[in-house]
Amino acid sequence: MNVAIRALDGPIRAEAGIPRRVLALLSTGVSKGPKEQVDWADLIGRVASTGDREAFKRLFEHFAPRIKGLMLRAGCSADEAEEIAQSALIAVWRKASQFDPATAGAAAWIFTIARNLRIDMFRRRARANRLGGTSELPDTPDPAESADVVISRVQDAARIASAITRLSAEQSMVVRLSFIEEKPHPDIASLLGIPLGTVKSRIRLAMNRLRDILDEQA
Amino acid sequence: MTINHHPPEDLLADFAAGRLEEAHQLVVGVHVAGCARCARFVQAIEQLAGLALEAVEPVPVASNAFEQVMSRIHDTPEERTAPDTGRDHGREEDIPSALRNYRIGKRRRVAPGVSMRPIELAGAENARAFLLRSAPGTRMLEHTHTGTELTLVLEGSFSHEGGRFGPGDFDYGDDEIDHRPIVGQEGPCVCLVAMTGDLRMNGLLGRLIGPFVRL
Repeated sequence: MNVAIRALDGPIRAEAGIPRRVLALLSTGVSKGPKEQVDWADLIGRVASTGDREAFKRLFEHFAPRIKGLMLRAGCSADEAEEIAQSALIAVWRKASQFDPATAGAAAWIFTIARNLRIDMFRRRARANRLGGTSELPDTPDPAESADVVISRVQDAARIASAITRLSAEQSMVVRLSFIEEKPHPDIASLLGIPLGTVKSRIRLAMNRLRDILDEQA
Repeated sequence: MTINHHPPEDLLADFAAGRLEEAHQLVVGVHVAGCARCARFVQAIEQLAGLALEAVEPVPVASNAFEQVMSRIHDTPEERTAPDTGRDHGREEDIPSALRNYRIGKRRRVAPGVSMRPIELAGAENARAFLLRSAPGTRMLEHTHTGTELTLVLEGSFSHEGGRFGPGDFDYGDDEIDHRPIVGQEGPCVCLVAMTGDLRMNGLLGRLIGPFVRL
């Protein structure tokens, strides 16, 4: 199971059954420098167990610019994206012991941290606008989960990792553009050179396909 | 708890991406916390987001960002995870743990057999969230919405032409749906509701009380 999970973390993804064409589509930029195999989950573990500053620095150098890049694509200002990237890495340091490699890939875990920080930032701003000043606000709690759900998360992790590899390259792409990079459908249509109606139907098909794959594994 | 009605997939994907309004995020989140099937779907979207994070073109952070982060880590005291005492919401309802951090307003009667408690949200968004409690057998007024309405059953049940909705079930209503739910006889029905737009009551009674029902 760990192999399947690890596969999501680093450059060894291609060996885990994700077709190379998906990887080609998923990576937008030219990759920087030589590909090295880094076990991000292991680095997070070292931060958790010994407060390993070197391990943390490598996590920072890898993930902070990517969080900033993703947040910019999703519509944040440069200042907001910078703040979310820095705060996310602070949270990685502080919450490292909560990371469970059996339930989530390192990148997915770090994404959820950045996502929650962005939610909190927007809410704080909305509240400040409304009340004419800053105000205390509880942080977005990590999703509360009942014990049986947590258990099934562990059992499900490998299945989920394999499920998303079964989406076609086109389906992964529209899901990413629409939900994660938050591009409006017309923008996706022009980016991919397909009609707007095709964007909508492809998203719908991808959603149904993902649900079907997960259901059939359950 | 058998859950038969789930949120639409695109709503779950928006939830996983953190794109929903607070009220919607809250209601979908409470469903997902109790529904292994939808939790799997959300996790799958999070994994896809992880892949996107790995693949995105990196954008340089401030040149001193690492030092700033290290000094923030050392300067600010370790965030203590506050003991999860929660707010005192009274004993009338079994408040889901996801709601514990929210301030929940006083109960207000909105119609015969129906009362609500507003949930105080942070932002100035146009969606509202509230707990709706209806007596057994209550026939809800026929109504349509100008926006969307997300309903999660916490206790009891209701039925309408879309089926029976029990604890954990999720009902999605938009302006095309004109429904008239009936609350089950087994006990009061408590729902967590997120609503955008206004509720429009149909029928004479609806027109009479409509102006007072600012849900």
